[in-house]
Amino acid sequence: MRALIVDDERLARKELMKLLEDHPMIEVVGEAMNAEEATQLVNDLNPDLLFLDIQMPGKTGFQLLEELDSVPLVVFTTAYDEFALKAFEVNALDYLLKPIQPERLAEAVAKLADKERAKNAAIRGPEKKLGLNDQVFVKDGDRCWFVSLSNVRLFESDGNYIKVYFDSNRPMIHKSLNALDEKLDERAFFRASRKHIVNLSWVEGIEPWFNGGLMVKLRGGDKVEVSRRQAAKFKDMMSL
Amino acid sequence: MQIGGWLLYALVQIVGSYLASGGISAKRLVFLLAEALLCLGVTHGFRILLNRWRWLYLPMHKLLPSVSVALFIMGLLVYFLRIPVNLMLGRLFNPMDALDIQQILGQSVFYIFVFFLWTVFYFTYHYFERYNKSLKYEASMIEIELNNLKSQLNPHFIFNALNSIRALVDENPSKSKQAINQLSNILRNSLASDKKGLTNFEDELKMVKDYLGLESIRFEERLKTEFDIHPDSPKFRVPPLMIQTLVENGIKHGISKLTPGGVIQLKTSVVDDRLMIHIRNSGHLINGIKRSKSGLGLKNTVQRLKLIYGDEASFRIVNENDNFVLTEIIIPQINSHESINRR
Repeated sequence: MRALIVDDERLARKELMKLLEDHPMIEVVGEAMNAEEATQLVNDLNPDLLFLDIQMPGKTGFQLLEELDSVPLVVFTTAYDEFALKAFEVNALDYLLKPIQPERLAEAVAKLADKERAKNAAIRGPEKKLGLNDQVFVKDGDRCWFVSLSNVRLFESDGNYIKVYFDSNRPMIHKSLNALDEKLDERAFFRASRKHIVNLSWVEGIEPWFNGGLMVKLRGGDKVEVSRRQAAKFKDMMSL
Repeated sequence: MQIGGWLLYALVQIVGSYLASGGISAKRLVFLLAEALLCLGVTHGFRILLNRWRWLYLPMHKLLPSVSVALFIMGLLVYFLRIPVNLMLGRLFNPMDALDIQQILGQSVFYIFVFFLWTVFYFTYHYFERYNKSLKYEASMIEIELNNLKSQLNPHFIFNALNSIRALVDENPSKSKQAINQLSNILRNSLASDKKGLTNFEDELKMVKDYLGLESIRFEERLKTEFDIHPDSPKFRVPPLMIQTLVENGIKHGISKLTPGGVIQLKTSVVDDRLMIHIRNSGHLINGIKRSKSGLGLKNTVQRLKLIYGDEASFRIVNENDNFVLTEIIIPQINSHESINRR
């Protein structure tokens, strides 16, 4: 696994590198000392894994994740902010407390190996497009989620924000629907109208609607209208 | 309250004499009001003397005779003072009667009794108020101690320092040993310091230097420190960990937030027997939600200074310019406030 270490302290990065020498399956491909550098490196190197400090000058680790389109696996490293990580759903992520104990690191690495295997078993989407196996980081107030795109059934634009529908949650992310549409794999996600992008694997039924449009029913009961312009395209896609 | 009390007294007298004789003359009314005014004046004077002689703090066995004598004098005083009032009102006045010893004593006893009630009321009221104040003082002291404990053993700082030291063990063994000494010194100081007392300026300065030494390991070239210490500074005693807390504040909210890092400067000067401590740090104060946490720490500092020095010390934190935040404490020389600190 190719990993990127993000921490503002040189000594902290050095210590983690040294500890990782015992785990040859983790290859450290880069180091960043703040969120700006990290964003750049994530886009350039496309790492599988981030070791991420939370408190950094400029932007925090959370803010960094919010800015990334697709989020690699993340292990938070922190001296004393585990309360901040309580915001996450159980088991959604791993974190290491500094000074890092070698045993704890070994546990975290073992968990990562499991996750990586699961990911590789699935079919990978085309390069640089976000497919069903990618995950995004979503923060809404105090709550945070790493959400696999396969669990997101619907994106709905709402002003300058997008509502992300998954499980019973609908947190907002600060992005435009057009920008998101360009990044998503078109074989998995469909732009139903100006307001909506639907996850095709969640479509349960389709009904004709007014003006030549369609009404798509999603598993879970949400209904989304497909505009007339997109309806023809949609029929094409859904038929072989 | 004084005025209200004596008005009530006059009212009771008026109603009393009205009920007793089934009517009241205008003269009688004016007389009773004037009498209440007289009593008000006398007790007010008594109150000033009570405060000046600090009778509230006298033990009971000294207080009782003093108060008895005072009450006797006050009783006589009112008796003689009301003679001119009577004359002015043109009421019957017989010098022989007025100066008759029995008459004097008889009338005075009544006033002495009234003043006795006044004194009992006054002392009880003040006793409870003092009790209340000392409770409040204790509560705020405990609160400050708690907050200090919380803020002084800043776990984020300690674990980060330990993490840096661990990396330093390979890189620079002698520096890592020094760092361990600095850290243990800080831990010892923050555990041992008596939050109510004062510490020597030099001890506090060493603590600040140890603290900055450790932070320098963590921040490396991002943290620059400057000291400009007035040679007379060691003559002063300062609240323990106060300077350290403020320096830490400057790093936490200033330098650690800046990507290129910054400077922290500790400067002292002595002006008019007062110690001026200036802490400058790179950064900018934001007035708003972001400051709520540090706001608590600063409020603590203000409270501590007030409890130790009363109004003689001062504290402020301001944006000196766009790039620097200035924290200023002014502390008076120890002798001038010993009485306040005797607790």
